[in-house]
Amino acid sequence: MSIVLSGLTKRFAGHIVVNHVSLEVNDGEFFVLLGGSGAGKSTVLRMIAGLSEPDAGRIELNGRDVTYLPPQERNTGFVFQNYSIFRHMTAAENIEFGLRIRRAPAADRRRRSDELLELVGLAGLGNRYPHQLSGGQQQRVAIARALAQDPAVFLLDEPFGALDVKIRAQLRQSLKEIQHRLGVTTIQVTHDQEEAFELADRIGIVERGTLIEVGTAEDLYHRPRSEFAATFIGGGNVLVGRAEAGHIRLGGATLPFRPDSPAHDEGAPVRVLFRPETVRLKRERFARGGPTHTLAQGLVRDRLFAGPVQRIRLDVDGLQGVRPITPPPAYGQRTTQIESIQPSDAPGELFAPGQALWIGVESYHILEPTGLKLLVCCDETPGGEAVSEFGGRLAQAAGGPATLLSVVGASEAVAQARDRLEEMRRRYSPQQPMVHTRVRQGQSSAEILIEAQEGSFEVAILGRRSGADEQALGATALRLLEQSEVPLLFVTTPRWPLHRMLICTAGGEPGKTSILMGGRLARRTQADVTVLHIYGSRATLGEIARATRHVQEAQATLEAQGVRCQSRVEGQDDVAASILAEAESGDYDLVVIGAPRPQERHRGRRGELVFRIVESTARPVLIVPVVS
Amino acid sequence: MTPAIRPRRAARASRLPIFLLLAVLLPLLLMPLAAVFIFAGRGGLPAFQQALSNPDAQFAIRFSLLIALGTALVNGVLGTLAAYVLSKYRFRGREALTVIVNLPVAIPTVVVGTSLLLLWGPIGLLGRFLDPLGIQPMFAPLGVLLAHLFVTFPYMLGAVKPVLDELEVTYEEAAYTIGASRWQTFRYVILPALRGGLFSGTLLTFAHSLGEFGATVLVSGNLRLRTQTAPLFIFAQFEAGNIENANAVAAVLATLSFLLFFTLLRITRRERQEGA
Repeated sequence: MSIVLSGLTKRFAGHIVVNHVSLEVNDGEFFVLLGGSGAGKSTVLRMIAGLSEPDAGRIELNGRDVTYLPPQERNTGFVFQNYSIFRHMTAAENIEFGLRIRRAPAADRRRRSDELLELVGLAGLGNRYPHQLSGGQQQRVAIARALAQDPAVFLLDEPFGALDVKIRAQLRQSLKEIQHRLGVTTIQVTHDQEEAFELADRIGIVERGTLIEVGTAEDLYHRPRSEFAATFIGGGNVLVGRAEAGHIRLGGATLPFRPDSPAHDEGAPVRVLFRPETVRLKRERFARGGPTHTLAQGLVRDRLFAGPVQRIRLDVDGLQGVRPITPPPAYGQRTTQIESIQPSDAPGELFAPGQALWIGVESYHILEPTGLKLLVCCDETPGGEAVSEFGGRLAQAAGGPATLLSVVGASEAVAQARDRLEEMRRRYSPQQPMVHTRVRQGQSSAEILIEAQEGSFEVAILGRRSGADEQALGATALRLLEQSEVPLLFVTTPRWPLHRMLICTAGGEPGKTSILMGGRLARRTQADVTVLHIYGSRATLGEIARATRHVQEAQATLEAQGVRCQSRVEGQDDVAASILAEAESGDYDLVVIGAPRPQERHRGRRGELVFRIVESTARPVLIVPVVS
Repeated sequence: MTPAIRPRRAARASRLPIFLLLAVLLPLLLMPLAAVFIFAGRGGLPAFQQALSNPDAQFAIRFSLLIALGTALVNGVLGTLAAYVLSKYRFRGREALTVIVNLPVAIPTVVVGTSLLLLWGPIGLLGRFLDPLGIQPMFAPLGVLLAHLFVTFPYMLGAVKPVLDELEVTYEEAAYTIGASRWQTFRYVILPALRGGLFSGTLLTFAHSLGEFGATVLVSGNLRLRTQTAPLFIFAQFEAGNIENANAVAAVLATLSFLLFFTLLRITRRERQEGA
């Protein structure tokens, strides 16, 4: 193994620039670090060369720990974006510089520089000064100079960034050949995806200092694991559907899971990627059982002729419950956009704007599921601290990304709120790298709602303000329940860890979503679940039988997910009272109830079952909106 | 058919401003310089030669050249060091130090002379301890050198620091990765890149030292054959009414300055062409 990085970390002025990067590069491999500007990829390269010292971690080159060695003793060849060849030396003198300071005999130096000039395609130009060479030629000299000492590893930092497209392509070609011929282990840093694809044996994608994913170009293009890789590399459609009975539900369409697809919890969001060039378009529906799965019908929005291909964007209405990630939906847009690439000789009139076409997908890929995505709303009250602590713990257990959100009224308070959140983050989740903080300014309920919708969180955690008694649920909660489909977790007195969980599927309510959501939480927190269904005392035998069957199904589903579970049905008229009584007697740490549909919600708020339960217990309550 | 519109001459700017500038510069700059040479040549070559063969005049020119050389060498090294430190290191007080090292440009030279006397003179802050030991830096060649070092310090810095600032750190880093030590990097990479700046800085220092008057007149005591520089000689001869003597040395000084100046011009021009 030529290059081994472990836990490499670098901070600049308190900002983390490189975050625990671990990587192994094989002998003779051409590895490319790909990422946007400021992602930290150059810093990784500079630390390997010894031009920057890591704050933590280890660097091994050919089995030798070089973490704290000066650059002179690492034997790396480094190529800079700005060439950095010495202007007062000829091309040959530049190449010979390393040998000269090692006091190699002049004849040897000459031979070596001739050899390298030949290698980089500059034979005969050794006597030229840099100002007599073009940019591309100067970079070739820089490459030759870096290779002159037979470096153990060859490092290139955006070497073609300052060159125009044509020269870039030529140089890329040469570099690939040189690297292949010498078999030197190479890491190149670039933001250019095409460059990465052409050069790399393997690519590592870097984002915000973290090495997100490593793989061959084909793997990363066709089979990425993360959302970032899927959207950063190539154009693509990424839609979020739901796992349902071994299938993926995408609005009206269902796609089967692939054998190699990562496992998803039942009811969990599933991110499906399909590349535009694999999207099929037709006037008629695609045949059932054929290789192409019909996704939906869409209207052509526009068509762009791009030479070898034409790019068609379609608006799809009615992909209900589907959240598009890319192409990103425009503000105020309700429809989902799908991008398709068609051969440019396909008849243009088929893709005229306004045309209604069926969209089919043949090959698609399913991204790794993330853990539960949590939104933790923190406020200034003393109870707010407890809520964020609970949120931090839950985030850790759920293994998903979490956001600590604070809403402030005045812009002066923003910085202070940010500091407070940062401190909480450090205190409650030091080993959870996926906790973010966010401060919004404005009216609390409106801002929380926007954040919940935009961030597509799976659970929002709200503290309940004691004392706000005019409406125990508070304006924020009401608004969230009415206008979004995010499950709400009310925390008055945090209880941790979650040992026992009560999932109530009250009379007449299907309860499927609450079972699935409760199940996902229980699986991750290893809580024992009790499923309780309460039917009215005047229920018919048929209704009781249905309730029993329903509860048994729920239990089966949960047990299939590995959750320890028991279930019960009860006949009671006062549903809320019996749920509350059960919650007390069983000493549950979390009560899960389904919230009725919006139209039902408007009939008599105060008397509503959900609100009565939340008002009357200090235990955490998770309200799961029922998605019809 | 519409008549063709005559192209107006507005496209070519009027040459009037050029003539105006020349008309102003002629009496202001060019004619005084010409006057030196005209007066110097008035008595013919023998008179000129005789004026220069005066031992006082010969000493003054030699002494001036020696001091200028010493100043250029010492400040060449010190100025480069200052430029390197101020450009490459980040430390507390760097801004203040940058201001301080450039201060001599702003201070009147007479004030420089006075302050040196107040420090090194027989009753000065430091001088009073040296005096009993028989060390007397003022009214001696060393005093002249000190004054010239002070006055010309910023010129080297001004010529070298911008070049260093522009020299990206990647050149040094490239040298390090190739295996060059810090010293080797300075010697083989940085110093050659500074060549132009070093040259022009040294020449500038030399030229300024050659013409220094204000500080020199105070610290030297104007002792003939001991501390009298060429400008002091010119001044002394003028005061004594020996205009020929003064003119001859002035002409030599002016010629030297011209030569230095044109060399400087050539160097900067060449640097600019290669630097691209």
